[in-house]
Formats: sequence, structure tokens, C-alpha cells
Amino acid sequence: MNIMKKNFLLFLLCSAIMLGLGSANNIFAEDDEGEDHGGDIVYTYPLKAVIFSHKAHVEDIGLQCEWCHDSTFEMEALHMQEEAQFDMESLCNEKYCGTCHNGDISFSTTTQCARCHIGKKGYDKMVREGLIEPVEGEEVSGDEEGGHGEGH
Amino acid sequence: MVKIQKETAERWGYSGIGALFSSKPHLFLMLLFGAVAAWGYAVGIDGFFKGYHHVYGVTRQIPWGLLISAYIFCVVTSTGLCLVSSIGHVFGYEPYMPIAKRAVFLSITFMLAGFTIIFFDIENPFRMAVYNVISPNFTSNMWWMGTLYGLYLLSLGIEYFFLLDQNHSMSRFAGILGVIFGVAAHSNLGAVFGMLHGREFWYGPYMPIYFIVSAMMSGGAAIIFFTCLAWKMNREILDHRMERAVKAVCQLTTMLIAVIMFFTIWKIISGIVAPEKYLAIMAFVTGPHALTFWLFEVAMGMVIPFFLLLRSKGTNYGLMFSATAMMLVGIFFMRYNLVLAGQLVPVFHGLGVEEYSGLLPYFPSYHEIAVAIAGLSLAITGFLFGEKILNAHQFQKHEIVPAGAFICPGCGGIHYKKEGETHEEALQRHHRIRKAK
Amino acid sequence: MKLNKIDLDNLPNEGLDSVTEIERRSFLKVGLAISGVFAGGKILSVVSKVNEVYASSSEFTEKYPYSPHYSMVVRQGLCIDCELCIKACKETNEVPDYGYRTRILTKTVSDAIGRKQEFIPTLCNHCNEPPCCRACPTKATYKDPNNGIVMMESSKCIGCKMCVLACPYEARYFNAKRRAIDKCNFCWDTRLEKGEKLTACSNVCPSGARIFGDISDPENVVYKMVHQIEKQVWVLRPESGSKPNVFYMKATRSSPWDLRRQADAR
Repeated sequence: MNIMKKNFLLFLLCSAIMLGLGSANNIFAEDDEGEDHGGDIVYTYPLKAVIFSHKAHVEDIGLQCEWCHDSTFEMEALHMQEEAQFDMESLCNEKYCGTCHNGDISFSTTTQCARCHIGKKGYDKMVREGLIEPVEGEEVSGDEEGGHGEGH
Repeated sequence: MVKIQKETAERWGYSGIGALFSSKPHLFLMLLFGAVAAWGYAVGIDGFFKGYHHVYGVTRQIPWGLLISAYIFCVVTSTGLCLVSSIGHVFGYEPYMPIAKRAVFLSITFMLAGFTIIFFDIENPFRMAVYNVISPNFTSNMWWMGTLYGLYLLSLGIEYFFLLDQNHSMSRFAGILGVIFGVAAHSNLGAVFGMLHGREFWYGPYMPIYFIVSAMMSGGAAIIFFTCLAWKMNREILDHRMERAVKAVCQLTTMLIAVIMFFTIWKIISGIVAPEKYLAIMAFVTGPHALTFWLFEVAMGMVIPFFLLLRSKGTNYGLMFSATAMMLVGIFFMRYNLVLAGQLVPVFHGLGVEEYSGLLPYFPSYHEIAVAIAGLSLAITGFLFGEKILNAHQFQKHEIVPAGAFICPGCGGIHYKKEGETHEEALQRHHRIRKAK
Repeated sequence: MKLNKIDLDNLPNEGLDSVTEIERRSFLKVGLAISGVFAGGKILSVVSKVNEVYASSSEFTEKYPYSPHYSMVVRQGLCIDCELCIKACKETNEVPDYGYRTRILTKTVSDAIGRKQEFIPTLCNHCNEPPCCRACPTKATYKDPNNGIVMMESSKCIGCKMCVLACPYEARYFNAKRRAIDKCNFCWDTRLEKGEKLTACSNVCPSGARIFGDISDPENVVYKMVHQIEKQVWVLRPESGSKPNVFYMKATRSSPWDLRRQADAR
């Protein structure tokens, strides 16, 4: 074989190996759909919407599962929404997220509201992108970015 | 139909309704443009019943679009026609006198066309007649514009009546009123934009000034364009005096194009250093509206006509016709660009929010385009109508030449003869030609 | 060389009046550019916004002697875009789907530390020099001298949309059902006139981001919030010259858990 063909075959081989390694390690999947943790949790009750990122807490900071999933949080996702007192008053009294987000361990729940509250707009975006199921009976508005005129 | 007496008809140059049917091509054109106008207004009425927010392209962020631009185009051309023609028969500069009748007639026609266009933009036009009168807001430029344009139209109507009736002193008086109301109304139209402190692109004294100068430029272009068209229909209108008039208007128009080019250049340059204007300016210089700006407004509206008119020397009608035809299209886009420019940048752009990170989109809808075309077609129909029925707006001999005067075969002006002089001697005296010894 | 001794303790106070707008802006641009990014508006002064324009509060009340003079304070940091306000406003005031009287805008600053997103509620600012009222040809809109609300008189509206163009805050829209321009009127006809104390939006806001009140009354919460030298208060688009009557503040916390909804605080 001449040198050109040899180089080409080598290139093909390397690409195949990289493809194989990459796909096995899930590089084509969404960022937050890891098998190790629970991914993004989006609460839609009592308000739309609040996001909890497992990636930020498990991967970036290195929290262990049992540190939160003892009595503070159930393993079942969105279980908290069915609790009667899942609101900011509870959080400010160091329940649920407020256990750590009290200003000492991590930022207080009275600050940086929109860090977790992605709002209706965040909720709409996630429904549009198919990341969450829409809540029954609610409208989801279209993409607003880029300065489109709204209404007449 | 009002029965017009024979004497009056002769004085007015009224040729009778039959004149409309004298030329088949002309009749066909009139019916064609009339039909287009009828179609457009029918679409407008359909839009009225469907609800404008369903059929028009204007939005809450861009409330003024093609219809307002078309209205401004018609009204600006009307004011310009009045102002340019007033140079002659109101202020007495003799070379401009022959264009007077056609210019005033077209001024009225374009004004009415403009009113029909705005009728289909305002949501409650009938309320305007009531509340503009009983609940006026004297701080509102729009109120002043509406009221003064009403008075302007009235003055023009009176002026035209007296022009027809050959009562030149009364027509001059009405003409002065027309000029005063016209300039006042028109600068208020500019101030409608220029006094909005929240719209930085428009804010400032520039708008009223620009509107007046631009009006005269459009008026000059319209006079030349419609005179050329009228000549095609009736060869005899272009006598020596009319040629002189067209040349004078051409010179004025050329100079005004230069002034408007100057205005535009400095508007762009000064806008580039103003952060609040930069985005709007660049939208037209390099952004999505660059084509309408460079091709239509600049090339067709100003630069190419400027050189064509210069080259025509005021005597080459082919060049002048193409130049002014281009100008009228370009000027239409000038109005469109102006109306859009102040609205394209969202008012909350400075907040840096995602919803308003770019320019706002606007494109005229079918209904808007139809109504705009209807208005313009109405104006053209009116023009065609006037040419035939009013004897091509020609002045009668004795109007032009008072007793004891004559038309100079050299310069085309009116000269007065002294007692006992011959025409030649009077000519030589006027032009200070010394007799050869 | 003998230098003149400068008595640094007794220098005359130049005062803010001698500082021109341009100077203020360039100073603030240099020093407070970063906070300007987060403010969403333009900070022109660290003093109460009311005092920035007038030498004193009494000058403000002299020039605009409305009593009550309804106003709103938007605590921008507390807005979580739940959009309950928009929903309540729509239901209370019959706002059609194609329009809105109030809106929440989203601002993202990707290189911010900590929180990277902000929500900015906007509504009619009930300006003290309203450009809409100046521009309306038939006086269909006016600032009510009895309560400071910029009102609409729908029967006079000709639908020319001059006011929509003039408004620096895109607060207005044409309402096809009313056949007139519509905008926030602080729920005057639907709530305040009927004895309610709060607008629909401020009543339903769960985080206390919207605080509604009377800026002419020194006992009122809005007056108190705006007249604090230590708190940054700003208005949107002050360069428009309309002297808006809706003020914006950061989330202010007198105590770590101060998240009072105005409806609960009554």
C-alpha cells in the first residue's frame, strides 16, 4: 500500500476507537442525564418552576447520596411537592433545602432567588425542549428570544 | 351634478364630463387605477371588520408601519407641491407661475389620498371628528397636525377655486394662508416624531426641519414628474413659459436633493457616536434594512436622480422623467425607513434583557399593502381626471399676459411695454441690450 | 515653595446639584459599572430616586400634589417569574390573550458570580410627566389629579396609537374589545375604587416583589422604602424625562427572613 492509503486507514482506525470510547461514556447524551445521580429535578408546585441540579450538587461539589436522602429528602423525585408545607417559609426555617441553604453552609434561601427559581419562562423552555412533561391544563408560550414583537 | 354655466366653465377651463371619454387609452388608465383603488379600499374595509390586530403587521412594539409611512408620503408630497407652487403665484417669482394650477390640484389630490390611507389605520376614525373638536389637547403635536391640515386643505380648496376663477389676488391671499397652515402643520408632523423624548432616534429639532425641506424636494419631484406625464397626454402644454418653469423647478429640486443628502450624511455620522441611536442607524447602514436604505432611499431617492437632474440641465425631459420617477419611489422608502427607524430598537433594549436583545421584526401585511396602493392609485386617478376635465391646468392667455404686457420671446418672462414702444424695443430695454450704433 | 493650607474638614459641600448628568453617568460608569449591569436599569444616584430629581421631597409633593399618589416599588431581586401577577391582572382586568398590562423580562449575565439570572417586572410607570398624555390628541388619557394614576377614557380614544409610540415603557396596547388603548390603571376601577387596598398583582405576589402604596403619605410602606439614603433606588429609563412613579430596588432585607408578601403584611 502506498503512504496515502496507510495514513487514511490509520485515521479511520483512530476515529473508530474514539467513537467507541466516546459513545460508551455518553458524550452525546444531555449534560444532566447521568446514570450516577438523578439529573435535573423541576418542581412545578406550588409555583412554576424551581430547578434542582443533581450535577451541581453531586458532581461539582461532591455530596454523597445519603447526606440528603436520609430524612430530609425522599429518593422519589418530586415527592416534596405533595408535602403540605413545601414553601419558602419552611425553607427559611431550615427545612428541606434550607437545611444547608441557611447562609452558613451555603447561600441563604432568602438570597439569589432566581438561581433556583427558573420561573414560568424556564418551565416553558423545558417543556418546549421536551425535558419535562407539561402540567395538565396549562399553556406553554412560544420562544420569545431575539426580540420578537409580542401581541398586537 | 352641479350645472356649471358656460361662462364659468370657459373661465375655469372646464371641458365637461365628455372630455373624460375623448381618449381611449386615457379612459382605460383612469378606470384601471380607479379599479385598483376600489380593490384596495375593499381590502381595507374587510380588515376593518376582521379587526386590524388580526390583519395588519403592526404590533404593540411597532405600532406604526406601512400605512403611516404611506400617509406621510402623500401628505409630505402635498405640502411640498403647495410650497413649491407658492414660490410662483403667492410670492410672485414669475418663472414658477405656470405650474401653479396643476401643483395646487395635485396638492389637494394627494392630501385627500393621504386622508383615506390614514382612515384605515386609525381604529376609530369617526370618533376623531368629534373628539378632536370637543376635547382638544393643545400639547399634542398630532392634534395640531390634524387641525392645521384641515385648515390647510380648506385654504388650498379656496385657493384652487380662485385660481380656476382667475381671481389672482384672492388666490394669492388663500395661498399665503395655505403656506402658513401647511408649514405649521407639516412641522408639527415632524414634531410628532421629534418631541418623543423616549425615542432617541427621532428626538430633537431635526425632524420638523427635515420634514419641511424634504417636502419641498418631494414637491419639486412631483411637479416635474406629473408635468412630464401631462405632456405625454397633451403635447401643447409645454410652451416656452412652462419649459422655463420646469427648468426652474428642476434647479430647485436638485439643490434640495443636495441639502437632504447633507442631512442624511450627518444624521448617520452623528448617530454612530450616540449609543442610543447607534443600533437604529446601523440597522439601516449595515443591518437587515440596508437594502431599503442604500438602494431605495440613497441610490434611487437621492444620488442617481441628483446626477440625472444635473445632466438634464432642466431641458432634457427624458432624463428628468426617469430621475423624478426614481425619486418618488425612493422618497416613499425614505418615509418608510424613517417611521421604522425609531421603532426597530425595543424601548427596553438598554436593560439587556433576553426578550429584547435584538431588533424588532416588521413586515407589512397584505391588507396594509393593499390600502397603501389604494391611496396612491386614488391620487393617480385624481391626476388623470384633472388633466382631462380641467384642460390640463393651462392658464388662459390673458391671465398670463396682462394688458400692456407681452411674453418675451427671449427669456419667456412677462415684460411691460412703455407707451409707444414696440415689442422689440421693450425687450431690448428689459434686457439692457444696447442698440448697435 | 509655600503651599496654601487646605482645611480639609471644612470644605464647602458642592452638593449633587452642581454635578451634571454627564459627569454623574461617567463617574458611575467607571465606579459602578458592574452594579449597573445587575441593576437592570441605570443607577444615577445612591440617594432616593425621588430626591435625585427634586431638591427635596417637599418639592416633589408641591409639584405633584396628589393625595393619594399611588405608586409601586418593585423589589427586583425577589421576582421569581411565577407570573401569578400576570395571571391575576388578566383575570381581574379582562386583559385579552394578545395583550398584557404587565410583563416579566429576563436578564441573564453569564459571568456573574452566584446568581446569573434576574427577572424584571415592568408595567405602566404612571409617570409624573407622562409623554402619552402630552401626545394624545383627544385627551383620552390623562393623569388623574385625585390619585396620580394615568387613566384611560376609552370613549375618547381614536386608536391612533400615538401614546403607544410615545410611551418609553411599552405599557400600552390596543384592546379590540374596548375599542381603545388599554394599560395598567393600578386596578382602579376593578379593585381600588371598590375598597380594596392593593392591586391584583401586588396582592397575589408571593415573594413581596411588588409593593403598592401611596408615596404622598409618610406612613406608607412605599414612601418609607423609597426615602432611604442607604438603599439603592432606581427607575427605568430615566433619560426619557417622563419622571416615572414606579421605583425599583434590590431585594431589601431588614432581617434575614424578611420576605413579606404585602398581602400578608396588611
